[in-house]
Amino acid sequence: MTAVQPTAMMSGRYQRAFTLAVVFLVVAWHVAGAGGQLLHDRSAYGSFAFQGVMWLVMALAITAGSVLVLRGAPGWRSAWAVAVIVLAASTAAAAASPAGQMLAVNWSWGSAGWAGVLVLLRRRFGELAWFLAAEALAVLSVQAWDGLHRTDLAGFLAVLAWSTGAQVAVAAGVRALDAAAGQAAAAVRSEAAARERAATAELIQAARHARWLALQESAAPLVAELAAGTADPGDPQVRIRCAVQAARLRRLLAESDEVPGSLVHELHASADVAERRGVAVEIEAAGPLPQVPGPARRVITDAAIAILTAARSQARITLATVAAGIAVSFVADTGSVVRLPPAHEGVAIEHQQDGGMLWAEARWTSR
Amino acid sequence: MDQPVTVAIIEDHPVVTEGVASWIRSDPGQRVRLVQTARDLTGLRAVPPLRADVVILDLELSGELVTKRIPGLVAAGYRVVAFSGHSDPTIVMETLDNGAHAYVSKDEGRDHLVEAVLAAAADRPYVTRSQARAMLADQRPARPALSQQERQALLLWFQGMSKESVARRMSISENTVRQYINRARAKYAAAGRTAPSKDALLARAIEDGVIRPGEIMPYMSFARSAADRPSPGAPGQ
Repeated sequence: MTAVQPTAMMSGRYQRAFTLAVVFLVVAWHVAGAGGQLLHDRSAYGSFAFQGVMWLVMALAITAGSVLVLRGAPGWRSAWAVAVIVLAASTAAAAASPAGQMLAVNWSWGSAGWAGVLVLLRRRFGELAWFLAAEALAVLSVQAWDGLHRTDLAGFLAVLAWSTGAQVAVAAGVRALDAAAGQAAAAVRSEAAARERAATAELIQAARHARWLALQESAAPLVAELAAGTADPGDPQVRIRCAVQAARLRRLLAESDEVPGSLVHELHASADVAERRGVAVEIEAAGPLPQVPGPARRVITDAAIAILTAARSQARITLATVAAGIAVSFVADTGSVVRLPPAHEGVAIEHQQDGGMLWAEARWTSR
Repeated sequence: MDQPVTVAIIEDHPVVTEGVASWIRSDPGQRVRLVQTARDLTGLRAVPPLRADVVILDLELSGELVTKRIPGLVAAGYRVVAFSGHSDPTIVMETLDNGAHAYVSKDEGRDHLVEAVLAAAADRPYVTRSQARAMLADQRPARPALSQQERQALLLWFQGMSKESVARRMSISENTVRQYINRARAKYAAAGRTAPSKDALLARAIEDGVIRPGEIMPYMSFARSAADRPSPGAPGQ
């Protein structure tokens, strides 16, 4: 997550800059280019007022389109709504121009094309091609209606090549820049991921080393004694020590996988050895449990191992959320008092013996 | 108890029905009489001489969860004790909210089912450990406000202590432990949707002095967050 966000933002920032550039281009074209031509040729139109209204309609559509694209990629409905409005307005403006002079005084064709580029910029390229073709066809139809001459057709083709060519070039350029920004972001992302992997590997290595040291302290001497024959496997005390070390080994293995709810996971691993001895162990949790830090988890599982090793036939382990922490409790038929680990790492341990049943509670609080 | 409590079992697995019947038979006082067994809800007869006081309802019949059918049974005048292999707190809560008197998980059946049936027949609360767990785990905004003592008694009971041990731990009498736990249950009967069974539980709890009418308040989140605060002397203070 930490690596993905900045790169996604980076790529997003570039794309927004390209969008802004296109917005400026389209607005400038409509105001200075189209607006300028409209004013310059104002006496040529049959009704200047109608042309002005069409110009305003297109200005509003371009404004709406700019807002849409700056808010994020518009859906096909809103994008095409804007496109259809500018297409209709520009065609109406062209149709109302004086016959024979239409191309010379037409201000709307270019603007409509640019507005289409604006709203269809990040949609499939085919959509923009359809739009530009429809626009060109509309202009051609108006011309045909007015009576098409060979010189008019040449003019039409010249304007088509000039304006549509520029529009396609801008759209293609923005697409290429988008792709480049995406690639740059991906490169940064993979670099960050590699760094994160290296850091994780280092952490895992350190944790392995710590576990190995812990084993050196407890399990290794026992194995050495067993090998040397100084510890007798028939001795109940030695058997208990073996059971405890076996449970610790399982817990150390369980500790390596950092999964959510790892305390429950580690308690299950600790219970495994007792279950092999025929002790029925139930583990139940009430409510969403808080995350407990590693050292505190170890104090809790140490208590679990001590109690489960002493349990004769049954044990119940429960986890419950309490104010600012977690209460892990054990009820087991241990028969006698069990030596429990001392309070440590924010974990307080209490116990109560009732006949042959032991109740103990390890309570970790974050404060 | 002069007349034995009559009970019907609705359970789709005959072997489970057989097991429940054997628990009922082995009750030393013979306080419960099995009058009917059915494999689904349509098989329940409401003929007066054989009409059951309590229905033991398996919550999953032919692979389908039937918690939504509980209000219908309750409206027909049955007291429902849910008996289920599920122990998911949300299912337990839904069952109680729909008007079941008690919830007994299949692990708890041997020790608790007959007692839960007897308590239900008398409209008295019966809180199993799985029920205590569901109450402790309850995070719904509309949960009732439990006092610190009620929560502590529920927690120790859920943890697996006997009521006697809970009493020793809290330095109170065993009777008071029951009172705390039953009061928590009664508060749940007062919360959520209305059902005649919940009203009956509440009325009985008031009659028995488990809860005072003034303690049954509609849910107040502020009271609840105050009850969650640790007591003086809790770790970290």
